[in-house]
Amino acid sequence: MTLLHWIGNFLRHQLDLVPLSTARWLMIGLYLIVMFWIIQLPSTETNPPDRPGTWRGDLKIWAWFAIMFQIVIYSVF
Amino acid sequence: MAQLTSIDYLVILSYLAATMVIGLWVGSYVRSGSDFFLAGRSLPWWAIGMSLVATDIGGTDLMGVGGDAYRYGIVMGNFEWIGCIPAMLVGAFVFIPHLWRCRVTTIPEYLERRFSVQLRSSVAACWLFLMACNLGVMLLASAVFLKSLSGWDISVCILTTALLVGAYTWSGGLAAVVYTDVLQGVVMICGCLIFVAIGIYEVGGIEPLIDKIHTVAKAKDQQDAWQREQKMTPEERLAIKTKPRHDRPTHESEHLSLVLPVDTRSPGPWPGILFGLGLIVGPGYWIGNQCIVQRALGAKSEYEARASYVYGALIKNLIPFLVAVPGLIALVKFPELGHGRADVALPQLVGALLPVGFRGMFVAAFLAALMSSVDSYLNSATTLYVNDFYRRFYRPEADEGQMLAVGRWTTIGFVVWGIYFAFQLQAFPAGIYTIFQTLLSFFLGPTLAVLVAGMLSRSASSDGAVTGFYAGLLTSIGLFSLNQPGVCRWLDLKPLFQVGQPYLYYSIWSFLVAMTFIVIFSYFLRSDPPEKTRYAIGGLNPEGGAA
Repeated sequence: MTLLHWIGNFLRHQLDLVPLSTARWLMIGLYLIVMFWIIQLPSTETNPPDRPGTWRGDLKIWAWFAIMFQIVIYSVF
Repeated sequence: MAQLTSIDYLVILSYLAATMVIGLWVGSYVRSGSDFFLAGRSLPWWAIGMSLVATDIGGTDLMGVGGDAYRYGIVMGNFEWIGCIPAMLVGAFVFIPHLWRCRVTTIPEYLERRFSVQLRSSVAACWLFLMACNLGVMLLASAVFLKSLSGWDISVCILTTALLVGAYTWSGGLAAVVYTDVLQGVVMICGCLIFVAIGIYEVGGIEPLIDKIHTVAKAKDQQDAWQREQKMTPEERLAIKTKPRHDRPTHESEHLSLVLPVDTRSPGPWPGILFGLGLIVGPGYWIGNQCIVQRALGAKSEYEARASYVYGALIKNLIPFLVAVPGLIALVKFPELGHGRADVALPQLVGALLPVGFRGMFVAAFLAALMSSVDSYLNSATTLYVNDFYRRFYRPEADEGQMLAVGRWTTIGFVVWGIYFAFQLQAFPAGIYTIFQTLLSFFLGPTLAVLVAGMLSRSASSDGAVTGFYAGLLTSIGLFSLNQPGVCRWLDLKPLFQVGQPYLYYSIWSFLVAMTFIVIFSYFLRSDPPEKTRYAIGGLNPEGGAA
């Protein structure tokens, strides 16, 4: 048993204590963090410079959809 | 699988002809090195987005994920979902626009501007080695699958794929790769959608499929657990029985869960998926892999580069349903195959389910997945060699015409190398594909560390980055070695990791070690001059000048 084995066993034991429902919420939490970060991005970074203000060109909306699908998937499975 | 008919061959030949026409037509517009390597920075977001997805799904992934879904269930979907989508979105709004703004052709070129030529050469050499090896590995592994799908000879599969892909990549460079990827992506998605729809219809719908998966998978899990317990000591058996279950479901199998416990037998325990795949491997792949990033660098504008990644992330939501669900349908239809023969489950399902014509469509989808990955690796390996070695060290004064000629000759060289290496690999055991996938995980952690440090901090120095990159690389190699049975026997130690394929954990540790070295060495050693640090995010205006 080396120091690396000891560290590995310790971490494995601690992570094994985490309930799977908490692990699921951590994954969903990752998506929520990305979602809130994207929502607060300035519109100059998410819209085309030549036609600002059109909803179809606003990348925030499409990014938001991509994340919403993920949150639903990780909530169901 | 059942024999292909003339209608199936007609479908396959139509797909191949369309690919060649698009590739060679795009190639007729290529006039310079910039056209060849970055498509003259003219690519639209929709083409890049589909190309990103098509490149990421290789032929071996299409079949391999199906086989793994048969063994382990929908947990394999994590590799396309949490392993891709958060990284693609963060990449879309932070890293990719900055790389586009820097007007670089390769990731190592950026690393020289931000840090040093030593780091550029080290990263380029590692990735070039990986890509060159992967060309042969992908050609062989896909030929083996193609043989099981179509019955064609392996040598014929290797030569046909390499020569067709080589021809249009030689002609059109990145533009040909991206526009053929669009066709290949559509063929791949449509072919798989039809396959999944027929499969679900055959088992009676979605709800019966879910019920049958639980029944079959739970019986298999119990049988596997009983076989494992027979090999355990009484103490180990007692420890398993008395272990707290921490909220694990007892009424169903793990096959329909994306979140699996630490001691799962699948390659996806939740800490590896969340910390390894979601936070390190995914971002490393989508931000640091030349093969992926190169097409966004060829976008028309910074906005189109961002939009391509967002569009790709949207499509990615669909992919696991297309590549993993067939494996679950195969589990219900052929439960007797077992873990050992899971890889033949999909070809068997294609033969059993698909009528004449649709079998050809699925083979075309497989070929599309295969060709879209091989052409990207071919083009990116050429780009790395020509830009980071030939032009950087041998002919810095080479003009656009010379760069185009050298790019085309190098493409031919890599095609010949890929064919040669694929034939040589036939003498190696089947696990060689897994070994090269593990090699990818060696580089992702350290590459991500130097990119993140370089872009997000002006305090990171070139000495720290070079030291961190090598420290991370050595960490991956060390952990991999300490997990090999031969090394463990020799040192009289237990393997370091208890999961079957711990490559996600190599990435976590190599990233952490690389980042620690970068921070410590950057703090204590000399800092970089402003002409280097201005390549951190915020240091350039949209036109590429100093902010």
